[in-house]
Amino acid sequence: MPLTLLECDIPIPEREKHTYIKKSGENIVPLANVQTTPGDLTERGCTYAGTMGVVGGPVKDVIHLIHGPIGCAYYTWGGGRRQNLSDNPEFHRKYCFSTSMQEPNVIFGGEKKLYNAILEAYERFPAVNGVFVYATCVIGLIGDDINTVCKNAAKEIGVPVIPFSCEGFRGVSQSLGHHIANDGIFDRIVGTKEPDKVTPYDINIIGDYNIQGDLWIIEPLFEAMGLRILCTFTGNASINDLAVAHRAKLNVMHCQRSTPYICELMEEKYELPYIPVSLFGIAQTSKALRDVAAFFGFEDRAEEVIEEEVSKILPEIEYYKEQLRGKRVFIYQGAPRAWHWIKLMEELGMEVIGAATTFGHTDDYEKIIERIGDGAIVIDNPNSVELREILLGYKPDLFISGLKEKFLAYKLGVPFINGHSYERGPYAVYSGFLKFAKDIHTTINHPAWKLIEGRA
Amino acid sequence: MTQTTAKTKTKTKAKAKRSVTINPGMICQPIGAMQAVLGVHGAISLVHGSQGCAAYPMRMFNRHFQEPVEIALSSLGEDAAVFGGADNLVKGVHALVARRQPELIAVLTTCLSETIGDDVDGILRKIDLPSTLVPMHTPSYIGSHVTGYDNAVKALVTHLAEQTGPNSKINIAVGLLNPGDIRELKGMLAAMRVKAIILTDISETLDAPLILPRPRFPDGGTTLAEIADTANSIGSIALCKHAGGSAVKYLAGKHKVPMITGACPIGVANTDRFLENVSHLSGRPIPDELRKDRGRLIDAMIDVHFKIAQKRVAIHADPDVASGMARFVHELGMEPMIIATGTESKEFVADVEAVASQTGHEIEIISGCDLYELHEAVKAVGVDLVMGNSQATYIGGDEKVAFARIGFPVYDRVGYQRRAIIGYGGGINLVDRITNAILDHADSA
Repeated sequence: MPLTLLECDIPIPEREKHTYIKKSGENIVPLANVQTTPGDLTERGCTYAGTMGVVGGPVKDVIHLIHGPIGCAYYTWGGGRRQNLSDNPEFHRKYCFSTSMQEPNVIFGGEKKLYNAILEAYERFPAVNGVFVYATCVIGLIGDDINTVCKNAAKEIGVPVIPFSCEGFRGVSQSLGHHIANDGIFDRIVGTKEPDKVTPYDINIIGDYNIQGDLWIIEPLFEAMGLRILCTFTGNASINDLAVAHRAKLNVMHCQRSTPYICELMEEKYELPYIPVSLFGIAQTSKALRDVAAFFGFEDRAEEVIEEEVSKILPEIEYYKEQLRGKRVFIYQGAPRAWHWIKLMEELGMEVIGAATTFGHTDDYEKIIERIGDGAIVIDNPNSVELREILLGYKPDLFISGLKEKFLAYKLGVPFINGHSYERGPYAVYSGFLKFAKDIHTTINHPAWKLIEGRA
Repeated sequence: MTQTTAKTKTKTKAKAKRSVTINPGMICQPIGAMQAVLGVHGAISLVHGSQGCAAYPMRMFNRHFQEPVEIALSSLGEDAAVFGGADNLVKGVHALVARRQPELIAVLTTCLSETIGDDVDGILRKIDLPSTLVPMHTPSYIGSHVTGYDNAVKALVTHLAEQTGPNSKINIAVGLLNPGDIRELKGMLAAMRVKAIILTDISETLDAPLILPRPRFPDGGTTLAEIADTANSIGSIALCKHAGGSAVKYLAGKHKVPMITGACPIGVANTDRFLENVSHLSGRPIPDELRKDRGRLIDAMIDVHFKIAQKRVAIHADPDVASGMARFVHELGMEPMIIATGTESKEFVADVEAVASQTGHEIEIISGCDLYELHEAVKAVGVDLVMGNSQATYIGGDEKVAFARIGFPVYDRVGYQRRAIIGYGGGINLVDRITNAILDHADSA
């Protein structure tokens, strides 16, 4: 079947280009990474969300100072115990810094306020190792020269002050914001320091944000193979880790939407190769360990680690597979998890009947379509009306999405898992896969669903 | 940030004005306006701005209310930033009408669209569609979420209220409270057999039952006809003068609807006054049922008084809730040491000063207060209990004192959106909440 128009989209025919029903042998990819249709009930975030919320924010020992009106800062503050964990919780994500631009600042410019704000924040938190400055919408319009302000402030306080021009209107989604963060960190941080020591077995894990502690179950696997983690980009990262990242021997790239930029830049400048990996589910995690081990000639160690880890979870996974066999899943994620998780669901005997992304590019959709079965719906940047139609029409047994869609699913009586910040995760690698399976089983079989009046 | 600090009966501390805000005590205008619109039946906010201005507030509502929320977006990109956003707005309104057929679309401006300078009112005037279109000016660089709510409710009555003939109802502008508060309010009005128009009513729209099939729009909410009818009511009361007060003033000025503004009905005296006002406007007596509720609240207060009396309290909340709480903690025999709000307001300072002078307490009043400032004040003064939203909980943790949640957002514990803090019933909830926080803290120490 070709591109398709959902019933709710009849008044907005341009949405047809974004909606595809998979059929093998066709060479069709839905339109992606374009501006959201005006009037849409969108679930997308802005450029700033990509720069600060995703890539920059997890850095644990810098002041994240948002230069703009107060809302932009407020909305990225906190996150609590559910996301971007770090080992510096007494500072990281606990404090939120903003210039809180007021009308006179908008009229007369905010450069002086920004400069003073950097100094005042640093004066109160002198233990930090740097300051990240994020400019939001209004700053781009009034034309504050944040580069010069940051340069002058850095001279004054003696730690790096890194500007990011990530105004929300710049891109069509979070995606451009990831790129801006990658470029800023590469240009101004990577390579500015040398590590205390280097070994022939140093790697960076690029594109993992330590959601509910993912990294803390990922890292031990690589360490068990005899590798050393030099830098994690950017989950639980110190700015000093980022500064020495160029001395690793290999970049292991997990999120393939938010970080290919920096991997390519580091390969070009430092001849530092990278390997893309999926660290979800047994097959993909095992392949990732084998690929990375092969680079270092550690194939035997990989097999030992894999055997040990798989044997720990396999009996329970087999149980869940039996329980979940044939269940139908609709996955809507930022981008890569939509395709990372198609195989993972199949490992649990489940069928993915639809996949969508908020900010995926064409290559994300190519990977989805390559992995997903015939008849499945693939939709780019779906809105709440389309999601409702899909949930009611396709009747999945499980919807995996984010917080903004969670209560829509609940209100339609559809079992749901928050794939962005997880339920009772972390969900990465082997032990996380078991938690994921258990959460899926828990929601699908929860007794309260059967009590809902009117649920078939 | 701008701050006004007053210390009644003692010296006013001169505080250095900071350029940096650390741990903000307020959000920006659009989210407040959205909450007002979410209380209108069949209405949708369309944000004239960039992606984050829709996505982030949605997430905040989801976390606090545990409900789905729809916010539309005109989707301004780089082109619009340069050439203006009129095309996006026109296209957006048409698409939203075609797809959702809302009864009302509230077009909310942002720092982006206000700075670009789009003539939103002019653009909307030229659009002829079956949905009612209401422009709401909510630039993020002026005021706070409280201002946004106030502007939104005022915009609703300005565009819709119409004199058609007396209706014997009372308008009640609620403010930024919870579904539980509105249910409590409706209970009081029902007991008095007073008919009211609630501006705006989120009690069902943001606390909807899980029954299938789900309606196109959540049940409940204030209808457009009700908003139109506010011009004909026998009087208006704003529970929160900072959030809804402007609408009530507008109705008084334009449609001669008598208005009474009092303190937010938190605690005994404030609730007494509110009921007297309702009684005065409606001519209906306060029934025994409410006298008994009052007695139950006072019974609860006496029951716990040794557990909480003389405890020193710091409160950070929106202006009217904070000033209402100041009086209530006095009634509880506690010491209101610091009463703070994130929204800069002289009226707030005056309200709390009035509480201080009437009760004899020395209160440090901070308006335009971020949580860093609150924390510094707490350290300096020393308190036994801090009250604030989920973002402020760390202050209780750091200072090793009891913490009780109040306000928005509360997302790290469940149920707060369902529990009233206003009225006698809300007072009982607060007595329990405050006392248990103090007891839990003592047990864990």
